[in-house]
This record gives sequence, C-alpha cells and structure tokens, in this order.
Amino acid sequence: MNKDTSRRVAVTGLGIITSIGDSVPAFREGIFNGKCGIEPISLFDTTGFSCHSAGQIKTRGLEGFFNPREIKRNSRCDLLGLIATDEALSDSGFDIAKYTKEKIGVVLGGGAGGMLSWEKYRRALCLKKARPKPSLLLPTAPCTLTDLVASRYKLTGLRATICTACSSSATSIGYGFDLIRSGDQDIVVTGGSESLSELTFSGFHSLRLMDPEYCRPFDRHRRGLSLGEGAAILILEDYERAEDRNATIYAEVLGYATNSDAVHITSPDAEGMSRVMVQALRNANVNLNQVDYINAHGTATRISDQMETRAIKKVFNGECAGDLPISSTKSMVGHCLGAAGAIEGVATVLALHEQVVPPTIHLEVHDPDCDLDYVPNQSRKQEVNIAMSNSFAFGGNNTSVIFARNKVKTREFKSIQ
Amino acid sequence: MIDIAVTGIGVISPLGIGRETFWESCRKAKTGIKKITSFDTTSLQSNIAGWIDDFDPRRFMPPGCYRRMSLVSRMAVASSIEALADSRLIPDSLNRERIAIIMGTAYGSSFHVEDFYVSLLEEGPRGAHPFLFPETVPNAPASHIAMYHGITGPNSTFCQNEISAENAIMYARNLLSQNLVDIALVGGADELSAMQYTCYDAVGALNKVRAEEGETIRPEPGSGLILGEGAGILVMERFDFARQRDARIYGVLKSGTIRGGVTDIGHYEIEGEQMARAVFLAIEDAGMNPGEIDQIDISANFTGELDRMEYNQLRQIFRGRSNNLEVTPLKYLMGDFGGAGIIRAAAILLSIYNKLPLPTVNAEVLRSEAGNFPVWNIPPAGKTSTALMTSSTFGGGTSSLIFTKQ
Repeated sequence: MNKDTSRRVAVTGLGIITSIGDSVPAFREGIFNGKCGIEPISLFDTTGFSCHSAGQIKTRGLEGFFNPREIKRNSRCDLLGLIATDEALSDSGFDIAKYTKEKIGVVLGGGAGGMLSWEKYRRALCLKKARPKPSLLLPTAPCTLTDLVASRYKLTGLRATICTACSSSATSIGYGFDLIRSGDQDIVVTGGSESLSELTFSGFHSLRLMDPEYCRPFDRHRRGLSLGEGAAILILEDYERAEDRNATIYAEVLGYATNSDAVHITSPDAEGMSRVMVQALRNANVNLNQVDYINAHGTATRISDQMETRAIKKVFNGECAGDLPISSTKSMVGHCLGAAGAIEGVATVLALHEQVVPPTIHLEVHDPDCDLDYVPNQSRKQEVNIAMSNSFAFGGNNTSVIFARNKVKTREFKSIQ
Repeated sequence: MIDIAVTGIGVISPLGIGRETFWESCRKAKTGIKKITSFDTTSLQSNIAGWIDDFDPRRFMPPGCYRRMSLVSRMAVASSIEALADSRLIPDSLNRERIAIIMGTAYGSSFHVEDFYVSLLEEGPRGAHPFLFPETVPNAPASHIAMYHGITGPNSTFCQNEISAENAIMYARNLLSQNLVDIALVGGADELSAMQYTCYDAVGALNKVRAEEGETIRPEPGSGLILGEGAGILVMERFDFARQRDARIYGVLKSGTIRGGVTDIGHYEIEGEQMARAVFLAIEDAGMNPGEIDQIDISANFTGELDRMEYNQLRQIFRGRSNNLEVTPLKYLMGDFGGAGIIRAAAILLSIYNKLPLPTVNAEVLRSEAGNFPVWNIPPAGKTSTALMTSSTFGGGTSSLIFTKQ
C-alpha cells in the first residue's frame, strides 16, 4: 500500500433498489416526496406475528432483471445487489476495459446474505417434504455478492465483505475511502444488499422491537422499527481521475469512523454514538458548524432514537444542534440492516447533489425526548454542503460517514413532483 | 508501508487450547482431525473434522460472562484474554479508543442461526427465543471482546469465507498505518455446527471419510474439504509503538495483499493467476525476492481444486527449489474455517520467535494423486526468518502475507 493521504475520493456512480424505487431516479423521487414503502409482506407467511408489514420490494419482479437460471442459482439478496451494482457501474460511466482491473476493488457490507435460500432448504427438511435442492445452500455465505460482483465484471482488486449488522455497508464506504486515499485502489465498488428473511423478521419480533404498523422515527408514539430490504452501491473513485474523465461527481467522501460502545449486545449507547460522530468529523477534518445535514440511523425504536438525539445534542451542543436538519430514510424504506448504511449513503449523497433534505415521514407528534429538527413529512430545499450519515448496529458497532457536496453538478434528474 | 509488530498470541484450536499447547502440537505435526461426536453425523457421508473437545470457558472467565455467548464468541473472548495477557498490555492504562478489534469469521454462530430458526419452525413466533437472536450476527464475537475488555476503538468483522481473518489483518494494518489506532486485536473465529456441516455435506464439498472414534485418520488428498473450528487473536501494534513500550515482539507483518480471481460460486480460482499475483505483490512490497522466503505456509485443505492450483503456482514462483519444495499446509492438521488464517499466522510467528521451523510436506502431495498421502517432515532448528502465508478461498478471493523476524 502506497501511503498517499492527499488523494481525494469522489462518488461517481450510484445504484439502488428499495421498496420505494428500483433505480436512482425512482428512489430520489421517493425520498424527496416522502413515499412510504412499508406494506404487507408477501415474501413469507407472517401468521402468528404481531407485525405483518415491511419495506418489501414489489415494484417489479426480479424476472425483469434476470434470466430464470440466474434467479434459480442466486439468492434474493445477491440478485438485489447485482441490480444495484449494474446501475451504479453503468451510471459511473467508466470503461472498465481501460482500467487496471487489480486497482478496482469490491468492498461490500453484508447482513443475513442468502438466509432466505437457506430457510427454504431448512424448512423443507424440517417439514420432511421432498428432499430440498442443495443448490439453495450455495449462496448462503455473506460474501457471495462480493464474489459475484467481482467475477461478473472481472475485477481483481481487493475483495472484502464487512458484517457488522446494521453498520456493515456504511463501514464498506469507509474502507473503500481508505483504500483509494492510500493509493491501494483507484476505484472501489462499495455498498451492500439485504433481503427480508424469516430469521431476521422473527428475531426483531422476538426482541419486541417492531412496530405492528409502520415505523415512526422520532415520533412520540413510535413503537419500533419496520424491517426493509434493498441494495445500494456507491462507486468510489480517485477524485483526480474522475475529474480527468469528466465524470459526474455526485459528492466527495471526506472521512469516516467506526467504534464500539462496549456496553451491550443490543442496547444502543449515546456515549459511543457521540464519540463516533466526533471521530468521523475529525477524520474528515470538518468543524461542527460546517455540518448542514445528518442522515440519522433513526430506527424508530424508543431507546435508539432517544440515544441518537442525545448523542447529536452532545456533539453539536451550543453550535447548531437545534437548527441542524436530521432525517430518517428508514421511515420510508424500513430498516434494511446490512444494506441500510449504503441506502442512507445514497440518500445523503442525493441530498448534497440536489440540495434537498429528505424528510422523516410518519412524524406527527412531538416527543420531548426527541426535540431536534427531524424535517417532518416534507422534504426541504436548502443549501447542503457537508452531511453526515450515521449507522449504529447490534453489538455496539457504530459508523459515521462524512460526505461533501461537489460544486460542479453534471447529472440532471427531472424535477421532483 | 510501516512494519506491524505482533506482540501477543492467543489460540483455541483443534491442535490445543492455549498458545503453548498449540505450538507443541504444531512442532510435532499432531493432527486435530477426528471423528465428530459433538453432534449426530449418522446420516451424512462424512463424520470427521478438526474440532475441539476440551475447551472449557471457565478456564478463562467466570460463567456469568459467557452464559449467553455462543461457542464462537466464547472461543474468541478466551483467545483475546490469552493474547492480551501475553502482550502484557493492560487496557486500563491505555486509551481504550486507540485499540481496535477486527475479526474474521465465515459465518459467526451458525449453531445459533439453526437453533433460533428451528425453534421458530417448531413452535411458531412465540417459540423464537430473544436471547438466541443477537448471537446470530457475525459481529457478536468482536462485540463480546470489546465488552469484556471495555475496548471502545474501531470494531469490525469480515466475512470472506476462508480469507476472513486475512481480511481482518489487512484492515487492522490499514488502521495502524494511518495512526488511527495504536493497537489492534486481530482475530479469526468459527465454530463447527451441525448446520454448517450438514450444508457442506449436502453440496458434496466434504472429504467423504467416515471414521471410528479414536481411529487414526488419513484423508485421501484431493478428495474434499475437511472443516475445522477455533479462534485466535494476535495483538498487533505499530512497530515503533511496540518498541517504545519495550514489548516482546514475536515477529513483524512486513507486507500483505488481497486480490480476487474470477470463478463461479463454490469454486476456487481454477488457474490461480491472482493467487500468484498476490504472492508476487506481497514479496515485492516486502522488498524481497522468492529466494529469501524461508517458510511457505499454504492454504491447501484436501480440496483437489485448491491444492492443485497452489501446487502449480508455487512451482512457478519457487522455480529454484521445485525438486524439493517443502510447504506447510496447517489445515491438513486442523481443518479449514474462515478464521483459520489467524491460527496459521500464530504458528508462523511462534516458529519465527522460537527459531524452529514448522513441519512440512513435500509439495508433490498437493497434486492430489490417489494414494499419495502427506508425510510430515519435522525439520530441526534452521532458517525461520521469513515466511510467506498464502490463502485462497472458494469464490475466488486470495491473500498473501509476509512475516519476518523483528
């Protein structure tokens, strides 16, 4: 690794599929219009649960993207990830053939991976139905998508899969940033994918962390999170190279930090959250008063929203905590676990690129414990130069990523309705 | 790139619990592969693995600490306790934010995944036990290490099949090189579960050996994977930091590379082009040439595809010694798992520190020809200054690390 900390890191390609949109333009329209993708689940039977809804992707069948063989051989999680990767690489506009492929890395965040495929296999065994197909087991490992992406595009650079639950794909952006900044890689495919599965659904249900209807981050009557599924990919690139080839630079990654609460396996801690935000700002060389927007972790569990609010107030106290727009993308797409950090990374980058702060929807009743500006229900047109995206995971694994606006805006979307 | 010193080692492995027992087994090429008795294998084609039957967490921590931990978390925390004590670091006296915990695991606790899901299938949503679920995330072992020691620095977990631990090493090196932390507890951990074993058996990946209890097992080369389990932690520090605190240094991580080859899911890189490239880059980054490598620790695991690929590439890279190429496939003794890289690295570092080479086999055995069983050679004291550790995983990932004496 050649140490060259002067390299800057640009975001030059975006790809996304969520319950509110299966492309970047559709997702952008969804988040800026406050669309809710949380609806009844059809992917598996929810009889016996107190919750029956999630941010399941229904807009288009996967048949629209893949041939039957690909659908049969790959997990739902991996297929979602490939959809987002195809869009992001196409969006970035670089000709892979012209690049040294060993300087293009793939660093993705994983969650439950191919759990849904394993569940099909295990359920069939348990119910002693016809012998299940062993091929269902092949995509079980959390890193399958990373290998698939690298092999599909013949990318031979560094390959890694980070699995820190809900902060996995946020950390993948951070590691991609390190690899480019140090000169080890010129381009890194970062992001993550997650599909709904019975295991995660019943897991959060067993912990009584799910809202029976839809999640309401920072609302007084919030009752928990809604799960979601989706994939998001951010193509990170050496800034100078991106400029040289006149690429659209959506935003710049300025820095990140990860840390550990070291307190509890499931319960969040405001102290750890505040420390990671401060460390990320320090890593990005950004002052408190320069931050214009925070894309919150904002799960809508009682304690997590309270802790995050407390942490933001501690970090920005006396500076701008009360005036700082904060919003939760999870209010629209649900909590996409391993993909959440990347989905929220894309939302943050779009906020910088479009100069619009997306809203927190379903926020109706003020909570005295959550007394900041959460941009309720309506997106807001305003100047956004520097933004922070927070991800806090089970196990106390926290990550904050700092993005900056790129002043030269080259990709134009159609205006928001 | 700066040198990274390794100043503490903790090992829970099929070759022994604790660093010293492990090293003793390594030197004797004692196998940890035996018939599985920890779960029912009656209906399976295979019944052997490198598994641990003598791990007692009470030797390391009070029951209240590990009661709700999975086996993989217990092993990871236990190895971290041993490694930290070995390094003579006391987290109380350090800035806990300046210590990272970076782990590699292929699956985390697959036992808890199975247990939780089957309880859901059998008893419905009310039967799904809330205490099992948090242990299903692969980052649980790293989180337990952080909680046990009160370490609040960067904390990450890598899942990249058989190079998970190597990924952890490289990320830790990245953090140390940037001076974002002073110390990193870098580990690998996996547990052998019925769930994981039956899945590998179902896809036909396992070495189809059925053994009796106590029987000496001689797996046929090339006839399939032998799974393993275990946990290891290395305490890694920037070399200057270690010297400043007058730490005992086992050895130095001189360079490292991770690359990826193109292959189908469930297969290794067939030709090994990227594996060879990673070796070349690691040796070059260390400022060496292949002739300066004293020990070659390889990732061969009885899978014909991997073993033959390593053989073909190593023959090319070490052309000068191709008639008598001696290599150490430690997985032949302990089985394969996502965190195995740390335990292999521990063996290398103990070898360098003790100036005693690791046992070797002649590389010809990697050709996986029927009847060509590995014969272990235990070299006397000799050159152990530099070691190459090469690792490849199904899915195409590959890693090369160079360790040297300080």
